[in-house]
Amino acid sequence: MKRIREEEIFPRNPNKTYGLMELVKGSSTRVDRGPDDMVSSWPHLLIREAALFAACFAVILALSVFKPAPLELEANPQKPPNPAKAPWYFLGLQELVAYDAFWGGLGIPGLVVIGLMAIPYLDRHHSGIGRWFAPSRRMACALWTGYVVIVVVLIIIGQYFRGPNWAWYTPWNMPPEVQ
Amino acid sequence: MSVKELRPSGPPPSSGGSRPSADGPLTKLNKAIYRQAPEVFDNLRPRALFHNIYKSVYRTTAFPKTERERSEAFFNSFLLHIQPAKIEKHALRFTYTFGLGLLSTYLFLLLTISGLLLMFVYVPSVQDAYGRMQDLHSSVSFGYILRGMHFWSANAMIAVVFFHMCRVFYTGAYKAPREFNWVIGVILMVLTLILGFTGYLLPWDQLAFWAITVGAGIAGKANWISDNINALPHPPGAPTVPPLGDLTRWALLGSDTVGQEALIRFYVLHVAILPVIITLFIVYHMWRIRKDGGISSPKESPE
Repeated sequence: MKRIREEEIFPRNPNKTYGLMELVKGSSTRVDRGPDDMVSSWPHLLIREAALFAACFAVILALSVFKPAPLELEANPQKPPNPAKAPWYFLGLQELVAYDAFWGGLGIPGLVVIGLMAIPYLDRHHSGIGRWFAPSRRMACALWTGYVVIVVVLIIIGQYFRGPNWAWYTPWNMPPEVQ
Repeated sequence: MSVKELRPSGPPPSSGGSRPSADGPLTKLNKAIYRQAPEVFDNLRPRALFHNIYKSVYRTTAFPKTERERSEAFFNSFLLHIQPAKIEKHALRFTYTFGLGLLSTYLFLLLTISGLLLMFVYVPSVQDAYGRMQDLHSSVSFGYILRGMHFWSANAMIAVVFFHMCRVFYTGAYKAPREFNWVIGVILMVLTLILGFTGYLLPWDQLAFWAITVGAGIAGKANWISDNINALPHPPGAPTVPPLGDLTRWALLGSDTVGQEALIRFYVLHVAILPVIITLFIVYHMWRIRKDGGISSPKESPE
């Protein structure tokens, strides 16, 4: 790019607080490819989104063909199964309820939801955005991993290690009447 | 092409006649149109007609070649315009997002479509519900696939939403200016869980009935709050707090036990109220992505 002396074109006006600083010859920096590494969404984003939908649809369709949704016997209020289990995503809750009815079922889950919402207002440090496991966020990542492990372990215990009367059973010793 | 090439098609002129030609009404109309607006016949050529209809619906070319046309393909499209016309290369890396947010949207879409189709079969009554489920597995064409897609999409959506939240946390994407979108995301996760829970009762099998009995029992534990408040020292004759857990349970089940009232409540929540609410939150969640500066990028906090 070639600089042009501005005073030859626009003489300074002493009445103005602003003035022309510089004229530059050359094409705009945005032509062809910008310096910020942008690409057109068409087709780069679109093709990825279409592929993701195809994959998602294929997996769900395959699962529903080869592994149909379960349907047990008709509901019978006279015949409670032992144990009666909540849906898998609430088994962590049910496990906590076994320890303390109120705190396990409502108190802790309510605090967890409030705590999750509070995260961005507690963690104001503006570092590590856009990177997986940024080294500057080691502590935050460790805490989150701890939370995920607790959630997953509670669900696994509820699903595979709880038998009649919510007693502890190992999966290989589970009474056959419990699925 | 010149307009004059075209002639209105009518019966051939009568050769040597007794009377000046007696045109039928169609031929008269044809001639009148040709006199008034000869280009109409050009516009009816299939190629021109198709081109004009396409252009009126979709103003940009179907196969954009220039950068401008590519931008317009997103900018002028109803479905695509919510996304940016240009996107950072970093945002396209599959291993950055694993497509989890979009995946949960896709699963919600599959759930909506399969759920609407299931509504043609399902009847929310304790007498009929289970029989209708058996129909889906025996007499309804592709019924078990339809139910399977709803079942698997629902379970997958709960898992994918949780994975999406983990991705956002591990990449620090909840930080300013995206704090509030994280809050919306937490609400969306809770709504997803409640939708799963309300849908769980509808098959009316043993699994459904007793899972909801357990779940409603958990809601009843809110009695702890009112019991503790009532146990505080208070002047005699002061009003007591009603049992909050029993009230919640009653609101949920419409009765003391899971029965017809609970089924119709869960059904209405599951097919009408909650889907509308979650759709509004999803739309807001996506709108905020754009308003908060698009998907998070390492350029926002250089290290």
